[in-house]
Amino acid sequence: MAITEMFFWWYSRGWQVFISKARTSLTSITDFFSMSSLVRTLFKPYRQISAETASSSASLDLKFHMFLDRLVSRFIGFLSRLILLLAGTLIIIVGGIASLILIILWPIIPMLPIIGIILSIVGLAI
Amino acid sequence: MNSSFDPKNPRVKKAYQKRSLNNPPVLALTLVIFIALLFGGIALLYFQIALGWTLIGFSALPAMLVFWIKNDLNEIPIGKSSSFTNLLSEDLLLLLSPNTTPADLIKILPKTRGGSFIMARFGLPISFFQQAQEFLPATTDPIYATAQDILNSTNSEEITGAILAVALVQNLPNAELVLNQIKLTTADLHQGIIWFNYLTGLVKDAKKPVRSGGIGRDFAFGYTPTLQRFAINLSERYANSHIQLQMADHTKIIGQIVETFTHGGRQNVALVGAYGSGRSTIVNSLAETLMDANSKIPNSLKYRQIFALDAPSLISAAKDNSELEYLMINIFNEIYSAKNIILCLDNAHLFFEEGPGSVDIANLLVPILEAGRIRMILIMDDQKFLEISAKNPALANSLNKIVVTPSGREETLKILMDQVPFFEYQKNVIYTYQSLSEAYRLSEQYIHDVEMPGKAKLLLESAAVYAENGLVTAESVATAVEKSYGVKVKVASDTKDREKLLNLEQLIHERMIDQTEAVSAVANALRRAGAGVKHSGRPIGTFLFLGPTGVGKTELAKTLSEVYFNGEDNIIRLDMNEFVSASDVSRLIKDGAEDGLSLTAQVSKQPFSVILLDEIEKAHPSVLTTLLQVLDEGILRDEKNREISFRDSIIIATSNAGANEIREKITSGAKIDDFKEELIENLISSGEFKPEFLNRFDEICLFKPLSKEDLVGVLDLIIASTNKTLEPQKISVVVDPAAKQILIDKGYDPKMGARPMRRIVQKTVENIVAAAILSGHATPGSTLHITPSEIEIS
Repeated sequence: MAITEMFFWWYSRGWQVFISKARTSLTSITDFFSMSSLVRTLFKPYRQISAETASSSASLDLKFHMFLDRLVSRFIGFLSRLILLLAGTLIIIVGGIASLILIILWPIIPMLPIIGIILSIVGLAI
Repeated sequence: MNSSFDPKNPRVKKAYQKRSLNNPPVLALTLVIFIALLFGGIALLYFQIALGWTLIGFSALPAMLVFWIKNDLNEIPIGKSSSFTNLLSEDLLLLLSPNTTPADLIKILPKTRGGSFIMARFGLPISFFQQAQEFLPATTDPIYATAQDILNSTNSEEITGAILAVALVQNLPNAELVLNQIKLTTADLHQGIIWFNYLTGLVKDAKKPVRSGGIGRDFAFGYTPTLQRFAINLSERYANSHIQLQMADHTKIIGQIVETFTHGGRQNVALVGAYGSGRSTIVNSLAETLMDANSKIPNSLKYRQIFALDAPSLISAAKDNSELEYLMINIFNEIYSAKNIILCLDNAHLFFEEGPGSVDIANLLVPILEAGRIRMILIMDDQKFLEISAKNPALANSLNKIVVTPSGREETLKILMDQVPFFEYQKNVIYTYQSLSEAYRLSEQYIHDVEMPGKAKLLLESAAVYAENGLVTAESVATAVEKSYGVKVKVASDTKDREKLLNLEQLIHERMIDQTEAVSAVANALRRAGAGVKHSGRPIGTFLFLGPTGVGKTELAKTLSEVYFNGEDNIIRLDMNEFVSASDVSRLIKDGAEDGLSLTAQVSKQPFSVILLDEIEKAHPSVLTTLLQVLDEGILRDEKNREISFRDSIIIATSNAGANEIREKITSGAKIDDFKEELIENLISSGEFKPEFLNRFDEICLFKPLSKEDLVGVLDLIIASTNKTLEPQKISVVVDPAAKQILIDKGYDPKMGARPMRRIVQKTVENIVAAAILSGHATPGSTLHITPSEIEIS
């Protein structure tokens, strides 16, 4: 019977498959939001704008201006990366928690019809 | 090892479950039930009806069912033990039964992807298997056992229809002999299985998610507006999909490039190799490797993008060199600031020489290459690299040279198998395996400016035009070569061609008298070529015709051209008395663009032809030395170092050397075979020919002087030729036998052969005809009878 096999699979390989699928989707989210790249380059100037450094012979005033420009560029870069990192982290956390709940509840899911019948008999109302 | 089908195997059960459950109607119905139960339950609960819990609880069942179908039934992995059923592919699990007979297997094969693949790709139609049916074993057991052996020898994961088809063929008695009849071997069929496995793998890979850095990948890298205007981003196409391709030995070169770009020092690579050897494919494959998050490369190279600079658009955009340098400096600044660009200069020599479409900016590039701050890949061919090295050693020293060698047969076939799906998609055809191996063989033989695998790919692409019923076969490839290069590569297959080859002597003798030795030597050479048994690395035939003047040496070459080489125009004639100094060698090999009449230019335009080297003894020794390679290998390099193939030509050299000796011997009653060796020895000892030159010819043919009896035939041929000229005017000439005798008496000169005869006919017969036409005696439809008296008067 297909149903018996489905239940058997659910409690054996099915659980592993779900865990691996959850892991793959979390990895895809990490890749989509470029998490590792963003962390590695968190303080790098945004798109290398004003990234040049002044030569040693440049005037102090020029050096200071370039330093300020670079600082602004780094700040913009930091901000944009941070926003993306936060968005990515949020989605990963939500997805992770949802996956974790499902992994924990996995053995209970096939019992939901019975639980539903019991709740109906008990007459639990919302 | 168990070699029988077990219907109780869990995989069989699963395959049937998959067939009944994993289909759109069932999945859609399950989804509808799930939604109905879930939302129905919620609605009931909303109305304070506790039954809603039951519905919601039961909605878990269809959800579980879909998850199970999509994750467990979607793929049926091979079983753990190596029993036959455990190794079967999904489609076969549904088609086989314990009672399957070899005859049933034949019916099953076209229903499987693998079986139909082998049948289509190797031109093995169902009728081939049906005819072979009676010779197959009575049961399937030996076939299944063979299938398991093939599985191991081809490193396949599962027994597919392709393996079963090959196993069926291998179980035929004298299988190899049967396959040889259709120009195949068992090894070819095994290659076909590997090809099928590879394509199946590609389809599976295409379903895998692509990881290429995500939306923030380029945040840390700069903008490159000027570069984007003048360059093509090769990496862009790999950002969302994996396209590329089996690289075989090129993987090693990619490793070398990655190594160069990872460590300090000069950050450049010069890919040096011939056009077609796969240099651009290497760069494309590198671009894909760098964009793939899963590839094992250092982080410093991950997501680096390769831009190919478009030299012509850059040069045309700049008004002069200073503007060009300004643009280049701009581009280099952008690349340096961006930090993620690898610049690729295809045809890099265009940047190191002055000329139309090229500009010399070596002075600008060398410091950049030496400083190693910008990663660069330069693509150039070996000859250009040598020229640049000679002109600018500093530039050559600043490059990390990697030689790209042309691929061998096995590797080329793998690359072709890889590329074929793209050609098939573009041209809407199917390529057979035989077309691939034929493309390798014929491109190796006929395409000389491009290297492997490029030339085989080019040939395969052009063969698509000659597909029959959408199938590109070995025949289509041969036709493509014949049409593109004007050569004959197919073994004479139609009756007309075969008849012509078999009766060549007869056809030649319709135009010339006697000289049977030379005629049959030439005819035999052409028959060998027509039957496909000639040596592929040599011309069709090389002959030296020796004999007195006017005995038919040149005439035989012309006749041959007329009879077999599509007309007398397909003769390339060089009077060697025009090549008497060493400097004349350059005229033989001059570039076709400068001198269209040089030997190399004429042969490259018309490779399937008769090459007549008249009066060869008069040529300078340097000229003869140059011709040695042609006679030996059928190859001559022109002054631009391009290989010109003479392998589809028949080369005939003529000489009057030894004419007196031949005449004397024949007059004294000797036969040619009696004195041929002696004559050749004399020619060598007298210094007229060097032994190494004479040795290069397939055959040296002696032409004997024409006797008076021979001249009767010659005269008939000359009169026939006059009649042919008069045909448009519908006038014909008949010469009385007595008049003929007078002509022969007047025209016979043993020293001059048939030539005086032609002059005599011109002075007599043709003059009489001309006078008759002008005086109105010869009108259209009339026949002029020429009598002895008329000959005497004229």
